[in-house]
This record gives sequence, structure tokens and C-alpha cells, in this order.
Amino acid sequence: MIPQPPKTALKFLRWFCKSDYLEEIEGDLIELYELQFVSSSVKAKLFFIWRVFLSFRPAFIRSIPILKHSNIKSMLQHNILISYRNFKKYKSSFLINLIGLSSGLACVLFIWLWVDDELSVDKFHSKDARLYQVLENVKQADGIITRKTTPGVMSQTLLEEMPEVINAVTTTMLLGSEYLLSVGDNNLRMTGIFSDHAFFEMFSFKLVEGNPSSVFQDKKSIVISEKLAAALFKENESAIGKMIEWEHNRQYIVSGVMEDLPSNASEKFDFVLSFEHFRDNNSWIRNWFNTYPQTYVQLEEGTDIDLFNSKIADLVKNKTENKATHRIPFVTAFSDFYLYGQYKNGKQAGGRIDYVKLFSLIAVFILIIACINFMNLSTARASRRLKEVGVKKAMGAQRKSLIFQFLSESVITVLLSSIVALFLVAIFLPSFNNITNKQLVLELAPRFTFVLSGILILTGLLAGIYPAIYLSGFNPIMIIKGKMNNQSKEKWIRQGLVVFQFSLSIILIVSVLVVYKQIEFTQTENMGYKNENVLIVQKTGKLNNSDKLKLFKTEVMALQEVTAASVSNHTLSGNNGGTYGFTWPGKDPEDRTEFERVSVDYGFIELLDIQLVAGRPFSESFGSDSSKIMLNQAAIDYMQMEDPVGKSVKLWGDDREIIGVTENFHFASFKDEVTPLFLFLAPESSDNILIKLEKGKEKLAIEKIEALHAAINDGFLFDSYFLDTNYNVLYESEKRVSILSAYFAGLAIIISALGLVGLAAFTAERRLKEISIRKILGSGEFNIVLLLARDFTKMVIISIVIALPISYFFTKEWLNSYAYRIDLSWWFFAGAGIFVLAIAWITVGVQTIKTSKVNPVDCLKSE
Amino acid sequence: MSENSLGEFEELVLLIVAAHNTEAYGVLILEKLEEHLKKKVNISAIHVTLKRMSVKGYVESSFGGITGERGGRRKKYYSVTALGKKMLDQQYELRTSIYKQIPNISFEG
Repeated sequence: MIPQPPKTALKFLRWFCKSDYLEEIEGDLIELYELQFVSSSVKAKLFFIWRVFLSFRPAFIRSIPILKHSNIKSMLQHNILISYRNFKKYKSSFLINLIGLSSGLACVLFIWLWVDDELSVDKFHSKDARLYQVLENVKQADGIITRKTTPGVMSQTLLEEMPEVINAVTTTMLLGSEYLLSVGDNNLRMTGIFSDHAFFEMFSFKLVEGNPSSVFQDKKSIVISEKLAAALFKENESAIGKMIEWEHNRQYIVSGVMEDLPSNASEKFDFVLSFEHFRDNNSWIRNWFNTYPQTYVQLEEGTDIDLFNSKIADLVKNKTENKATHRIPFVTAFSDFYLYGQYKNGKQAGGRIDYVKLFSLIAVFILIIACINFMNLSTARASRRLKEVGVKKAMGAQRKSLIFQFLSESVITVLLSSIVALFLVAIFLPSFNNITNKQLVLELAPRFTFVLSGILILTGLLAGIYPAIYLSGFNPIMIIKGKMNNQSKEKWIRQGLVVFQFSLSIILIVSVLVVYKQIEFTQTENMGYKNENVLIVQKTGKLNNSDKLKLFKTEVMALQEVTAASVSNHTLSGNNGGTYGFTWPGKDPEDRTEFERVSVDYGFIELLDIQLVAGRPFSESFGSDSSKIMLNQAAIDYMQMEDPVGKSVKLWGDDREIIGVTENFHFASFKDEVTPLFLFLAPESSDNILIKLEKGKEKLAIEKIEALHAAINDGFLFDSYFLDTNYNVLYESEKRVSILSAYFAGLAIIISALGLVGLAAFTAERRLKEISIRKILGSGEFNIVLLLARDFTKMVIISIVIALPISYFFTKEWLNSYAYRIDLSWWFFAGAGIFVLAIAWITVGVQTIKTSKVNPVDCLKSE
Repeated sequence: MSENSLGEFEELVLLIVAAHNTEAYGVLILEKLEEHLKKKVNISAIHVTLKRMSVKGYVESSFGGITGERGGRRKKYYSVTALGKKMLDQQYELRTSIYKQIPNISFEG
């Protein structure tokens, strides 16, 4: 086969090269490529690209047809030359513009990449427009909560009874958890989900092997990802038909291999098991009262969603013979759920889309700040260009062509900045990915290039249009006569723009401060329990046997480095599941409020150091506590019970005596009020073994625990993490946002300060003569600094006055989304104000001190 | 600058073209040059030089036939023109005449 040179490079060559020369150059390059290809194909390719690049020189580039022999070409050349001379002459303003615009553009590009990625999540399914997720609005005494969990029989019923439903699937897609898979001695813990057979038909998770419609014909089937297949089986060997052992308990036959999930899939899983298996093990899934899995439906094209929702609103009520009247199912577009995942009182209330909007806004703000620098510097320096404009106009230049000239100058600046910005993005993309936990890549795909050029043209126009109109509007006679027209209006606009810049910066700074403080608050505030040094070990395999569990617990407790151990289903990082099967004397039978369910073992309260309001914790010394119950203060308040200890309540129909009441510890996010909760003894139905380690000996302790685990739970992998890392996940998105916005706020203030430097330098320069005369008349240096700083101080103070109320309003709004929050103290605002003022003074000060030290003779002698 | 000029690199390329008259094309010139100069030369520099010399009228070119090589692209063969040959002669004479004026200097050691 004849080796083919890199296509893109060849295309590029054909695109730019003059047709007269193309055949010769292309032929020579290909011949060289073929010669080199014999020794090394990679080298040949690289050299080919390099040679094409070298051929990209003026002599070979074809001329653009319209520019040939036309005025426009020479005008453009002239404009570029003038711009170049101006850049060279006024290096500082050019640099300020370049730095400001390039960092602004880099910011915009970063945010665009991020937003574009966020918006693409889950949109890759070919049936996306027709895929819907079934949610349930659940009425509680204090409002409506919206849940993703549905009855296991929902999908079948919808498919049978609703003609609009073409396909439906029951799956645990949002509840993927880790399971042990093994082939021979090869053990792996991987994330898996359960799904009905329609899964691969509805969702576009591509199968490399296996047929989407038949992979789950047998309920002992498993579909694994390519990555998992490579890890479990030998290379170059089809995994189909191979056996995989699940939790050393059940055997599955591989019926399909799917491509690894794309990075913009909201849920990540490595394998899929048939939901039939789940049904076999959990018979409760077959009734309408229990909800657990998710239901997704594919609706017929053109289905009226509101109408459909009203048709299914009574479904749960009807199917439960009017027993469950508080649950109203409805559907929402599947791929919207990622961005619009939050519901408040049954209504859609944002979600990640809020961050998308917030950052888009920040991007625009930063770009505007950078553009303002450009506007201000260009108009402030107008006097330097006056003669040029005057002469050109006198020679017959039209205003139009002058506007064109100044616009091309701004577009050239923006173009240069964009090159710097692209470099910045390429350099900082890995750290940006790190902060945002994404895998963004910078590639000059058509879409990206399109958006980039759009941003560039917009920025060029935004930055250039005002200076262009302003500069081209001078009256040539006045200019040449040397009469400056009244510039006070321009000064006003300039000052207004500076005020605007600084207001934006202050708002950003205050917001960052408040977000940071609130996050810190959630980290340090008393949660009502102590989560340090608590190791959580997953209870898997043989530990599900209560004797083995007891043995493991005793042996672990015997370790020197361990202070306590217990078991719970709850990891105190959000709602884990509740029940309304909790009743007490005087409960309204219609009340479906769910109490959070926490199954524990002895020692749980002591291990986490949860404080009691009354009574005692579960204890082995009191004989059997398994028929007792503990509640939190919120539950007692909700039931309006007095002297609860010793009273009796009913859990799933059985009487239980209240033995203790705990304080309201924060088992969920600080965003939510602490809701009613009960604790009961049920170590067998709890998945997490909690082990409190002695401080400073964590590493040794974990090693010893792992050894014990290996001995008692042999064949199963040891999976552990610290409780507080789990807790931190609750605030992960807030943390990301706070880090990112801190960077952006920093950038905003730097760009603003840069603009101020430029303006201050210019003003000082303009007033050199005035300053010299003042000095001769006896004015001190300090007075001169004050004189020069006064204007800027005024502007910054005005921005502070404008920005503080606005930032107060915004931060207050944001904090309102937290049930437990910091108070907005005055120093957040004062601090931000003083900080900005200090920055302004420092930047202006450096310039003015330099000016005030000027020797009057040097400035005045030329007159 | 005189009307007819010939730069150093141009001269080298022209020499090669003259040496392989009507057989010289881009890659051949590149190989010969690299062979004589014992250093890497870049092909686009040769292309540019050839174009420049065509404009000056030192070389003329014609396309060869289509072959299976070079992805089916024709070769462009260069040959030296009368003017080109004259330039080479002039250069040669100029150099040798000046060279002959060098007194017999001997370097010891």
C-alpha cells in the first residue's frame, strides 16, 4: 500500500497554496514523505507537517480574490501598519490591553468549555428527545418532596396501560453501587446497576459485542464495559459466554460488552445485571407501596407531556386502592435531569443550571472589564491621535474609513490576545480540569473555532466601537487649530466605566468571601457528632453472616489502635431513606411524613459522641434492646410528645419503647433542616461497619483491620474510607464553585487594577506641567500625590457605595438556600471595600509618586 | 543593487540546476545540495529560490509526465536559461579573477 501523508496538513497546503505552484510543491513534499516513510512512519508524518508549515510563506500563499487589485487591500495594510506603530510607541497601554484581554478571553474560553460540557451531559442518546424519567411528588406534612425512586412495577404498568409509552425500563441507574466480581482469583470491586431488558434499546450505550435487544433474555446475564472485560479476561479474547462470579454468591454469563461510558454520561457504571435477578431477591419490589428503582420511558414522538402527566397523576392512588394518595408520579425529560435536578415543594427549582448561569455571567463580566480597559485607554489617549485624525480628515478621509481603521486596531489587539489566551488555556487546562473534575480538552474542532471567532469578533466590536466612534468624530478644523473640544463628557463616561469595573470586582470579592465562609462553617460547625478518625468498612460477603460480623467486630475492638466499633446503614451524609410506617398515639392517619431510618448496632451513639437530651443509648447491659427505639429531638418536636422516655410508639406495627432522645445532629447537608429520625437496633440490615481509630495511629490501624478482614472475610475485597471524606462530598460542588470564583474574582480585580494603572499613568503624564508649576510654587510631593489620587479615590468609593448593597442582596439570597448558615457580618463588606480601595491606592500611588518626584525643569524647559 | 543579482543560496541552486540541466526538480536539487553542503536544507527554501529565479529569468521549467510516484503529481523540471548561464559565468569569472590576485601567502603550522 502506498503510504498516505497526514490528511489535515495536505488539506491545509491545498487550501493556502497558489494553484500554479501547488502541484510541484505537493509532489515534492509527498516524494520526500515516501522516502522517509521507509525508515520511520512517525518521523515522516511529523516532517511532512513541518514542511507544509514551512511552505506557508507569503510567496506561495494564494491571494484572496476580493483583495486583489483593490483599495481595501491597501487600506488594510495601512491600518495594520498604523496599529503596529501605535503598539510600538505606546507599549504600556498595549501590554495592559494585551494582558487584560488575553486573561479575560482565557477566562471566557475556560467557562465556555465547562458550560458546553455541562450542557452536553446525557445528550448523547440518539432517542434523547423522547426519553423521560418518572419522578414522584410525595406529600408530607410540611410540603412536597420530589423523589427519583419509583415502584418496581411502574414501568410494566405504564407500558401496558399508556399507549404513548413505546418502551419502558426499570433500572437502578442512579443507585449504582460497588460489587465484587471475580473470575478465578481475579477479584475486582466495580460499580454495577440492575436493568430491565429494554435498557440498551432505549439508551445509546453502545454494545461492542452482543445484541441490544437480547442481552438480558436470560436473567443470569451480565453486560460489562470494555475496561472491565480487559481487566477480567485475557486480551484478544471475546468475553461473551464467559462466567463471572458475583459477590462469591452467584454466577453470571457475559452476554454483552459495552463501550466504556462517555465522560458526559451523568451516571458511571462498569456493568449491568438483569433486573429480574433483583426482583427474585427482593419480592417487596413487586408492590406499589415500596419505591426503590428508577423508571425511564420512551414516549411516542409529539406526546403532550402535560397531558400525559395528568393521565398518570392518579396511577399510584388507583393501583393501591386509594391507600397511597400522597404520591403523584410525573415524567420529566431524562437529559434535563442533570441540570434541572432540584425540586422544591414539587416544583422545578434549578439545580446545576444555576452554576452554569452563574459562571456564564462571570465570564461575560470579566470580558466586559477587560473591554472597558481597552475603551478607557483608547479614549484617554485620544489626544495623541488627534493630529492623525485631523490630517486624515483634511485629506478627505470619510468617517466610515476612520471607524474602520480604529475597529481594525481593536480587532488586531483582540486577535493577538486570543493567541495568548489559547496558550494560557492550554497551559492551565489540566489544573482547571482538576478543580472542576472534568476531562475537558482543547481542540480546534470546527465548533470551537466557530465559537472562538464569534467571541473574538464580538469582543473586538465591544472594545472598539466606542473609541472608534469617539475618535473619528472630531472636527478637523478644531483639531488642527489646536482647540481641544470639551472633554468633560468623555471624562464622565470614562469614570463611569471605571466605577462599573470596580463595582463588579467588589461584588465578586464579597461573594467569594461569603461562599468561602459558609463552606468553612459547614466544615467546622458542630454537627452534633464527631466524624474524625472514623473508618467505614463496607460489610460485604461473609460479614453478612451475623456470627462472622460479631467476630470481626470483637477482634477489631481488641486492637490497640481502635477505640470503638459499631454498625449502621447510615453514613450521615444525606437522607438515606425513611419510612412513614412509624406511628404514635395521636398521629393523623393521613400524615405521610417520613422519619429518617437509622439502623445501628450497640455503641453507635458513643462512637460518634452524639449527645443525648434524655434517656440512655442502646446498651448490651440492659438485656434485649432490639424492641426499643431512640429518636432525635426533631422527631419528638414533630410528634409534640412530652416526657418521651418510656413512652411507646409503633414501628411497622410493632410496639417500641422510647429509651433515649438525641440532640439534632446533622445527618444531612446544612442546606436542610434536621428532620425527624429514629434509631433502632438492626446490625444485620446495615452495610457500614464504623470503626473509631486512635488519633495518630490510623495507618497502622487500617493495616491491622485489613489483615483481620482478609482472615475473616476471605475472598472479598477490603473497601474502606473515612467518614469525614464522605461528609465533604456533600459540599463538593460548593467547594469547586468557591475555588473557581476565587480565581475569577482575583482575575477581575487584577484586570481592573491594570486599567487603573494605565489611566493613572496617563493622567499623571497629562498633568506633568501642572505638577511642575505646583512644585515650583512650593507644593510638597505628598500634596501632589493626594491631588492625583483624589479622582481615583472618588471613583472607587462610588463603586463601593454601589456594589455593597447589590452584593448584600446576592449573598443573602444564596445563603437563604441553607437552613443553617452564617450571619452576614459587616466586615465582609468593609473588608472587600477596604481591600479594593487599597489595591486602587497602591496601583495609582506607584504611578503618582513617580510623577511627583519629577524635576520641574525637565518638563517646563521645552515651552 | 544591480539589475541582475544572484544571492549565495540562489547561486548554489542555480549551479545544481545547470549541472543537472532539464533533469533537476525539487527533491533532486535538495538531495544534491545536502550531499554537497553536508547539512540539512529545507525544501521550501529551494522552492522559493526557484520561483524567484524563474521571475528573474535565470531558469525555466516544464512539467514531466504523470507517474505512480509522488501521489500522481507531475515533477517540475528546471533548466538553466541563457541569462542564467551568463550569470554563472560572470560569477565564476569574478571570483577566479579576484582569487588570482591573492599573493602567495603561506601559513606555517
